[in-house]
Amino acid sequence: MCAQNTVVYARSLTKRYAEVEAVRGIDFAIHAGECYGFLGVNGAGKTSTMKMIYCRVARTAGELLVLGMDPARDASRIKQRLGVVAQENALDPELNVEENLLLYASFFGITGNGARDRARELLDLLAISAKSKALVRELSGGMKRRLVIARALVNRPDILVLDEPTTGLDPQARLLVWETLTRLINSGLTLLLTTHYMEEAARLCGRVAVIDEGRILAEAPPAQLVTQYAAEDVLEIVDADGRLPADTQLDGLVARRERHGDTVYLYNADNRVLLHRMAALGFDPPRHVARRATLEDVFLNMTGRELVE
Amino acid sequence: MNALGAFFSRNAWRVFHRNLLAWQKYAWSSVAINIVEPFAYFLALGFGLGAYFSLTGYGSLVQFMAPGFLGLTALNTATFDAAWGAYERRVFNGVYESMVTAPVDPLEIAAGEYLWQAFRSTLYGCLFLAVIAGFGLVHSWWALLCPLVLALSGIVFAIPALLVSFVVKTQEHLFYYFSFVVTPMVMIGGVFFPLDKFPKWALVIAWLTPLYHAVKVFRALVLGTVTAQTALEALWILVAIAVFAFVPVRSIRAKLAN
Repeated sequence: MCAQNTVVYARSLTKRYAEVEAVRGIDFAIHAGECYGFLGVNGAGKTSTMKMIYCRVARTAGELLVLGMDPARDASRIKQRLGVVAQENALDPELNVEENLLLYASFFGITGNGARDRARELLDLLAISAKSKALVRELSGGMKRRLVIARALVNRPDILVLDEPTTGLDPQARLLVWETLTRLINSGLTLLLTTHYMEEAARLCGRVAVIDEGRILAEAPPAQLVTQYAAEDVLEIVDADGRLPADTQLDGLVARRERHGDTVYLYNADNRVLLHRMAALGFDPPRHVARRATLEDVFLNMTGRELVE
Repeated sequence: MNALGAFFSRNAWRVFHRNLLAWQKYAWSSVAINIVEPFAYFLALGFGLGAYFSLTGYGSLVQFMAPGFLGLTALNTATFDAAWGAYERRVFNGVYESMVTAPVDPLEIAAGEYLWQAFRSTLYGCLFLAVIAGFGLVHSWWALLCPLVLALSGIVFAIPALLVSFVVKTQEHLFYYFSFVVTPMVMIGGVFFPLDKFPKWALVIAWLTPLYHAVKVFRALVLGTVTAQTALEALWILVAIAVFAFVPVRSIRAKLAN
């Protein structure tokens, strides 16, 4: 049931809180060395899934194995080998940057010179060495995030778990975090992340699970999800007056049509061909966007909702 | 994990170390706050109010209050940090949250907090002890045992405070603990005046509070009136620690591992 290189294995994994069923029996297997992402909106069950994996909450039902161990029995041994970047930074504002790393390292039994060397190495890796004596509250949002990632790496984890690693960051800080994570992925580290940014999932993840209302709707490499559940291209047309030709007039060029408000999404193989056909029908779309399909479209098609509201 | 073993576990000392690191950054202001305020009360009541009378059978008010204030200092320093400080660490600063993400057990968090409160009450209590010794109010070498009793008092006072800090929903609720528990405990703790004229039922309530016993031990050590009774008062504190120290662990676990 559990392949040699499977580092996280879940079957019918379920989490019920008093009021809600956050995770409703999901199956997945994460392999060593891959970057696996959960893509979904807030409240989809991403964080609950992550918390069950990093042994912060107990599962309600189903099977879960992390590094071959059961969180219900071996939480402490699992934690020893995980790096966790939780949604809230949870950096200690009363300690400086270096103290944050050294204290956290000590919880893993890494102390003395070994801890200091490791801290220096990580501060360099994440380009925050200049701030090693600064208090956490003096750091920018992006630096805090990088410090949390540094802290999560202090015990040389087998899996790095990141819950929405770039939420709330400005675009530049986000790019820096992406660069860092890309380097870690290239170094062979297993990453598990959640996100509601399709660009993040597309950029970083080898495989993505689209998760909504506690269920996994699809799971595949990002590009494959796009072609399978959306199309190559999307033509977005603002059609307030309903003049847009029907699909039947468009020679079957439209694979799928969605309307959200006044905007019509035409999923098709090639926008140029479609626009050409419309022109031939005497329809010249006044306001339109011709673009490649993305995971955003996959999500919209599957759930009828947008990823980022 | 072995309950007693948690006190001596490395992680408990790392939790302690975290608080020490944070405290070092504002140590002087913390020392000033925790010493100046009780010292002001002590001077005003002891020498100001105390100038008008002496306590039948106990001598001057200032002499009566001096050891009582050791208990009060232990109570205040441990309670304030275990209630308010731990609330802040949990809710605003995510300190415990990141500890349980690392392999630190809630039991070790509780043990580390107790060790820390033991340190605080010992430090501030000893500073106060030095002050009253300077006023010539310490009369026995038994007083050398005060640090040990201060440490135990810090732990026993930290237990309910830590519990409260982990069960309250908002910080306003912490004040209930201070108003309805801590302040009445001080009033019937035998800090400011003797309790012999209290009704029997009030003494029963006093006997149930740790401050009453701590103050009795401090008074015996400072005055050199140590008897077998003193040992029983100290034993009360030890038993209370043994029985109640692990009560907050349930709440910590519920908050940090649900």
